[in-house]
Amino acid sequence: MYFKKIMILVKKELKDAFFSPLIYILSGLFCFMMGWLFFNYLLQAKTLTTATMTQAVITPIFGNINFIFVFLCPLLSMRSFAEEKKQSTLDLLLGSQLSEMQIIWGKFISNLIQIIFMISFTMVFPLILAVSGYSDWAVVGSSYLGVLFSVMAYLAVGLFCSSLTDNQIVASILTFCLILGSMLLVITVNATNNYLLALIIQYSTVPFHYEGFVKGMIRSYSIVYFFSYVGFFFLLTLKSLQSRKW
Amino acid sequence: MANNAELAIEISKLSKAYPGRNALNEISFSVKKGSIHGFLGPNGAGKSTTMKILSGLIPPTSGEFKVNGRVGFLPEHPPLYLNMTVKNYLEFVLSIYSDKPKNYAAVEQVISKTGLSSVEERLIGNLSKGFQQRVGIAQAIVHSPEMIILDEPTVGLDPVAINEIRALILELKKDHTILFSSHQLHDVELLCSDITLINHGEIVVTGPLQSIIEGIKTRLNIKAKVESFSETDRTKMMSHFKLESVHVVRDVDQNQVNLEIVALADEKIKKELSRFLSQENIGLLEFTEVKIDLEELFNKMVK
Repeated sequence: MYFKKIMILVKKELKDAFFSPLIYILSGLFCFMMGWLFFNYLLQAKTLTTATMTQAVITPIFGNINFIFVFLCPLLSMRSFAEEKKQSTLDLLLGSQLSEMQIIWGKFISNLIQIIFMISFTMVFPLILAVSGYSDWAVVGSSYLGVLFSVMAYLAVGLFCSSLTDNQIVASILTFCLILGSMLLVITVNATNNYLLALIIQYSTVPFHYEGFVKGMIRSYSIVYFFSYVGFFFLLTLKSLQSRKW
Repeated sequence: MANNAELAIEISKLSKAYPGRNALNEISFSVKKGSIHGFLGPNGAGKSTTMKILSGLIPPTSGEFKVNGRVGFLPEHPPLYLNMTVKNYLEFVLSIYSDKPKNYAAVEQVISKTGLSSVEERLIGNLSKGFQQRVGIAQAIVHSPEMIILDEPTVGLDPVAINEIRALILELKKDHTILFSSHQLHDVELLCSDITLINHGEIVVTGPLQSIIEGIKTRLNIKAKVESFSETDRTKMMSHFKLESVHVVRDVDQNQVNLEIVALADEKIKKELSRFLSQENIGLLEFTEVKIDLEELFNKMVK
């Protein structure tokens, strides 16, 4: 029953999304950028005779996918709560039998499905490589898993920012700043001579964990990291939704 | 006082404080089952806050309230998804408000009850404001609640749409208890059996509309038209009856005199006064008592 109610919201959200042009515009933009990058990496791969296909094409491509979603995730997630607040429909949801957590899950899953839809277009790249004999599927698989985890993290941040305001632009800029800020945190590592502190800061950034996945390493602590990251922002979103009762 | 079983809503000493100000200050009133209860007050009086508390959207700071049965709520801005069709929207609302799996017959019923049949496949965003308001009311009743709370359902509508919404509210009275707020005092006069007047977060008066109006009626306003009325008639009348004032306006064109008489409230005076004015040299043409309307009540109370 808990999951069924979530799915009602997910269905509605997906209908909304796929009947509006935004998702297609973003998908088109994403495909264009990725296709262009893939083509260039492929051309470059010819000259890098010492590098494997994974090193020359797959790893940089997934690095770029992750980076592009730093921009795209805020654009997708900005609507989630900000628009509901603006249309004063949030009260309709909050007054219903859906709990706050179910609403958050519904919004999260529907956003995630939209991103999976966008990412699914990139599956054509490994297939093209396969035609010329590429067969390192484990790396491809773990890279996709990595992308999935990192967009989940971005979306969780996006949902939280969207719940803070009724202005979609503010929500998306705030999300972008938070994601980019946490990425840039890794630069701060250079400022310290304390090895332990450097490790802690490094551990707390998304790219560090994502890197592992792209290299084909599925580290248990990275999975724990992503789940706690999402959980933490879910909690913040929950508190933000509950704040109307304060 | 009605006994508890007959009450749809009971509120006692309800308070709501926002940082820096008190929106509601220990208000108490009740709504009878099956009635249409008008909730009046100037802007910022605390109407919307009370309604939000009753529908469970925000908690009160202190005090208690009891709502017998489920509540359907139409906020001031109807919560509509503009890019959904009327039917899809109502089905969605029903599915998140009700335990029962897909009861689409209920949706059809509500659509015909609220007069939305002709637009059920259209996008809500493309509908007129009057229809959007109907969709708003439809979402409040789609899960068949016992109690409906409507926050200013007629605001911003044209006169035709206002009439239609009024008729709809009267129609809904058959199955639901209704609490609604409005600035249109006319609405309240036409629809409500009971009212509650609130100002600055405090209840000014609450109870059956008729007895409230009777209660504040200390003056009798009478308008009369006569053929002629001399100064002597005026002095005579003033000395005969307990009158507060007599205002004489001569209408030369129509060859008649309009009198506005304010008497101290006494029903008997009407009869005697009309008899006095019926004398041959005065010649009574018209005699009406001006009923105090809600607007006066509102102004009087809010001051």
